[in-house]
Amino acid sequence: MSRREEILQKAMAIPNMPMPVQKVLAYIGNPDADLRQLAKIIEFDPGLTVNVLRMANSSFFGGGAKVSTVKEALMRLGLGRLYQLVIASGVAPLARYAIKGYGLRPGELLEHSVAVAVASETLARELGVTAPPYTFTAGLLVNIGKTVLGSFLEVDAAPIMTLAHERQISFEQAEELILGINHAELGALLLEKWGIPTPIVNVVRYRLRPDESPEPDLALDLVHVGDVIAKMTGIGMGIDGLQYMPSEAVFARLDISPQQMENVMVAILEQIAEVRDILMENTL
Amino acid sequence: MEIVVNISDMKVTNRARDILVTHALGSCLGLAAYDPVAGVAGLIHCLLPLARDNKVPVKNPFMYVNTGIPQMIRTMYGRGATRENLVLKAAGCGRMMHISNQFDTGASNIAALKKLLQVNEMRLSAEDVGGTIPRTMRLFADTGRIVISSCGRSWEL
Repeated sequence: MSRREEILQKAMAIPNMPMPVQKVLAYIGNPDADLRQLAKIIEFDPGLTVNVLRMANSSFFGGGAKVSTVKEALMRLGLGRLYQLVIASGVAPLARYAIKGYGLRPGELLEHSVAVAVASETLARELGVTAPPYTFTAGLLVNIGKTVLGSFLEVDAAPIMTLAHERQISFEQAEELILGINHAELGALLLEKWGIPTPIVNVVRYRLRPDESPEPDLALDLVHVGDVIAKMTGIGMGIDGLQYMPSEAVFARLDISPQQMENVMVAILEQIAEVRDILMENTL
Repeated sequence: MEIVVNISDMKVTNRARDILVTHALGSCLGLAAYDPVAGVAGLIHCLLPLARDNKVPVKNPFMYVNTGIPQMIRTMYGRGATRENLVLKAAGCGRMMHISNQFDTGASNIAALKKLLQVNEMRLSAEDVGGTIPRTMRLFADTGRIVISSCGRSWEL
């Protein structure tokens, strides 16, 4: 068996998201879904209830007067946003582990992932464009492949980094040479298997190489640059550091100015704590 | 005691047993200052080169090279350090591979530092900047020794 096949086989054995999350996702996928019924399903699970209320009351997602029931929270957040948040709270626990092989202490990868997600959405606001609704969740999930490799499969990333430095190639190219797969592709395959919607899977798959995406996608562009910005700030950075290649085409397409990029860096430092705490404290 | 300097943060100490440390320097600048005579040590972790808007007071001066570093050095003077004795060492300012110059925040950070030092007729005695590696920077307040760690290796600066 090749190293790639071995990694894929082990990764596919990782358990799916917690049951309450799967139930909610299945229900929202139903075309007749209604908010009242959905509120009941969520209220059945204390962890999910706390998460939904905290998100609706957070200044980043909600804002305004406090809501105290799941139904009110759903009205404020809307079905689309809720869907994203439920996925996020289902998958976030995976990012809380220490990713030893990738030089990350417990919580650091989650912090980095939150930084990517917040940067992607903040960038859209800064540019005056409307981020597709799945942007935030996709940003949060882009590093899930690192969790799988560095934590579940105990891959040691040090030789990967050495190879990347020696050959002056990007970290994910070196992952491919050594492991036969990079963390972006592996993450996408896992999320696909879990039935996560295709637009999110595609952002995860192409975020390091957006130029290879078969179709242009604003969310992908935003997350690509959001990831670059998060890496530069150093928040939750692993041993792979800045060993990645930003796409000039994406920077040109979004028409970003250096000032706008700096504004996003400042904003993520201010906002990351609130979002991280919501995802960190409530285990499902 | 190890004292952590966060992103956009600064710490000064005159306790010899302290170690000032800052983690995860990506494109950010870490600047260590040490006065061996007064035994005063300072470490700052700046996110960006310049606070641009002069009209609004800066919420956190340590976020920027041009506002944070003067404030750190003034704080150190307040604890007995002198300009003649200050030893300055810089680390960080990394860059993504092939990123275009206008988005190379690391290069802008080190350029802003050098300009600031030039205007004040001061200089760096050592620097470990650029490249793609993440850096952790430690300043030992007993001797002023600086240790940079990255990817499981450590070296003195």
